[in-house]
Amino acid sequence: MSASLSTDLPQRVQSQGGETIGLAGAINDHISHTPWESFDDQAKWKAFSQRSDDGCWVSQVKVQGMHCSACAAIVEQRLKEVPGVLSAQVDSLTARARIVWQENAVKPSRWLAAASEGGYALLPIQGGDALEIARLAKRAMLWRWLVAGFCMMQVMMYAWPNYSAGPGEIDPTSDRLLRWASLLLTLPVILFSCGPFFRAAWNDILHGRISMDLPVSLGIALTFIVSTAAVVEPKGMWGAELYFDSLTMLVFFLLTGRWLELQLKQKVVGQLEMGADLLPVSAQLLDGSQGAKTVPIHSLNAGDVIQVRTGESFAADGVIAYGQSETEESALTGEALPVAKGVGDLVYAGTTNLSSPLHVKLTKVGTDTRLGQMNHLMQASLHSKPQIVQLADRIAKPFLVTVLILAAIALLYWWPTDPHRGVLAAIAVLIVTCPCALALAAPAAFLSSASALAKEGLLVRDLTALERLERVDHMVFDKTGTLTQTTLSVLSVEVTEGYSVEQVLRWAGVLGSNSLHAVSQAVRQYVDVAGLASGEEFEVLGIQEFAGLGVQGVLSSKNGAQMAYKLGSDRFCGILPKTSAIGQRAVYLSDDHGLLATFYLSEQLRPDAAKTIAVLHDVLNQRSPSMRSHLSIMSGDSAQSVKAIADKLGWDSHDQVLSECSAKDKLAGLQALRSKGYRVAMVGDGINDSPVLAAADVSFAPVQGAALASVKADFLLTSASLAPIALARKQADDTMRIVRQNLTWALIYNLSCVPLALAGVLTPWMAGLGMALSSLLVLMNSLRLQRKGV
Amino acid sequence: MDILLLLIPLSVCLALLIVVGLWWAVNTDQFEDLDRQGEKILDRD
Repeated sequence: MSASLSTDLPQRVQSQGGETIGLAGAINDHISHTPWESFDDQAKWKAFSQRSDDGCWVSQVKVQGMHCSACAAIVEQRLKEVPGVLSAQVDSLTARARIVWQENAVKPSRWLAAASEGGYALLPIQGGDALEIARLAKRAMLWRWLVAGFCMMQVMMYAWPNYSAGPGEIDPTSDRLLRWASLLLTLPVILFSCGPFFRAAWNDILHGRISMDLPVSLGIALTFIVSTAAVVEPKGMWGAELYFDSLTMLVFFLLTGRWLELQLKQKVVGQLEMGADLLPVSAQLLDGSQGAKTVPIHSLNAGDVIQVRTGESFAADGVIAYGQSETEESALTGEALPVAKGVGDLVYAGTTNLSSPLHVKLTKVGTDTRLGQMNHLMQASLHSKPQIVQLADRIAKPFLVTVLILAAIALLYWWPTDPHRGVLAAIAVLIVTCPCALALAAPAAFLSSASALAKEGLLVRDLTALERLERVDHMVFDKTGTLTQTTLSVLSVEVTEGYSVEQVLRWAGVLGSNSLHAVSQAVRQYVDVAGLASGEEFEVLGIQEFAGLGVQGVLSSKNGAQMAYKLGSDRFCGILPKTSAIGQRAVYLSDDHGLLATFYLSEQLRPDAAKTIAVLHDVLNQRSPSMRSHLSIMSGDSAQSVKAIADKLGWDSHDQVLSECSAKDKLAGLQALRSKGYRVAMVGDGINDSPVLAAADVSFAPVQGAALASVKADFLLTSASLAPIALARKQADDTMRIVRQNLTWALIYNLSCVPLALAGVLTPWMAGLGMALSSLLVLMNSLRLQRKGV
Repeated sequence: MDILLLLIPLSVCLALLIVVGLWWAVNTDQFEDLDRQGEKILDRD
């Protein structure tokens, strides 16, 4: 390390005698092998940078290794020292840096390397261009709001003398000066702060449509014109009073409402958009002969093998080819407990490798990964419009037209007697009837709810489902893979007399590890746990899997002897079936001579299943206390095993148990329930049972191990526990309650204020204040849905 | 109260200057990461 490093870095990470201490040291080791040249390709710049007109690029990068704001200063300094970098700003709170550089003078690799030499890793943020746009939008909003706020205070200062003085107490010249001062300080508000309102209103007029901004802009324009007339002609018709103070206050309150709306949207949409922060930017591609090569992740393909080191996140979905470790998958499933993974296990993009390095053979990259699919789903769900939102949209246009007409009526009514009051009334009507709160009422609540559920491991594919879920009073569950875990486990083994247990288990283990079927995996795991897994003793000469029946293979041991083995059902192995206990199933290992071993497997209930059922019982009972039955199991399995599961879950006598059902039987069962008047939600297999799921009012499907896009259900359960389903049912109640609260409030506010405005009692600033407060109320009410237990 | 004839226009100029100051502050991201912006003046340039 260079001498300058020891003076620049904070004490904690100084290198001492060649030994690096602390995170920066570890990162330095990592990044000194990372070539940055791959980022010099201009085609890649758009992913994390925005180009401005004069050949300058603005890049957004993540900074790793900072632990205080002094580090931020160091990174900035190093970046700025690179010729060609025009500016560098590091935000220590979000650990992001914004660099402005000229494409002719410097390439990204140069400044990326500069920061890394100081011990900090810079990683370009995928989607950084969108971040930059969002940042500029937020900044523009801040500017407008500050101008409105500051000018509002100044204009009020100039208006105060008129409020506190009696008539004739202010001398005419001073009064005129005060009026002109008010006008001058309202100009910035009109010019800067009102921009978005006027632009939107102008667009509306050009296209012959109407939106919320049109009445508001009319109101603002009218106020400004009338008050300017008062300044220019104090003795004229309008000369009596100025309304600049009301105007600026109104604009300030309007912008405050918009600001809060922007904050909520960014917060909620940001939570739904998992992705940018979870994926690494580069990966270590293992190239057989050449060892590990660093490549950007969008150049990875299925079939590539990458090396994932401890602490790194996986760049794509894949199968572990080498190594054993634990992963943390909370990004996908909402559970933070580490999951043990070994060779053959699946790992997912965006999850973190916790304990040891792994080699992963990729199966899905980019948007095909589960993370990519989840992202896509969440984006799509934002476009789905619940009925109640559609209703609000439909009444918006006639409502706004009515507003304009009412304003005109107010003006005309008061004009003969008191034009002043007429104008005031018109302005108040235009402003107070702005349906901002009404427009926010439902969307804010649905979005808030969807993001809260996503954090718990339940993805909402369709927001309208939340609406329908509220009315559900009966839930139907599938058994295998839904109530029970998708993995089976071996309870016990019976080995035929005359064979050594270890040998038999070894053979079974080899067969089991060559198949992905749940039964094979259970056997393999059993053998692994017994410590008997080995690959070297046998050579596998041929493996054939027969879907749903079994696996057969020819194994050759060291001394050359070849034997054919079969692992599977009784018919597959050619033996007579044995009776197994309730809730268990038997799988057999046989060779040409006959039965070698019997494995007894059991299905395990999902964790929390009993608790979930209890909660659902309560909630559904509350919904329709007159109906007796609220839960059903519909399964293709035998009556014995289904009854056993139902008992374990706490099914009572009113609940339904249907066993040995085909798909048609399940469909018939559903129809029967609906004809009795129930609203039914179904929890089942999203791929094989999709026609049945589609027949229910609301559908849930667990997605472990399946491609998200092929699962057709309203709610996708990514968590291993069933608890999110009960949570969703309760959440649906809360969501609709809050939507109704919001709408009620918005309507009451709008309707009660209109008569007041028409009478000329409501001044413009009161109208503006009311609007902002009502929007705020709706937003805060919706945020209650993010807390558990509203 | 003739002094008001001077003070009122003066205050308008001052207020406009402050608006310019606000514009500078927003443009140079003074309101992002308040800790960092405060320490920026201590940087070696």
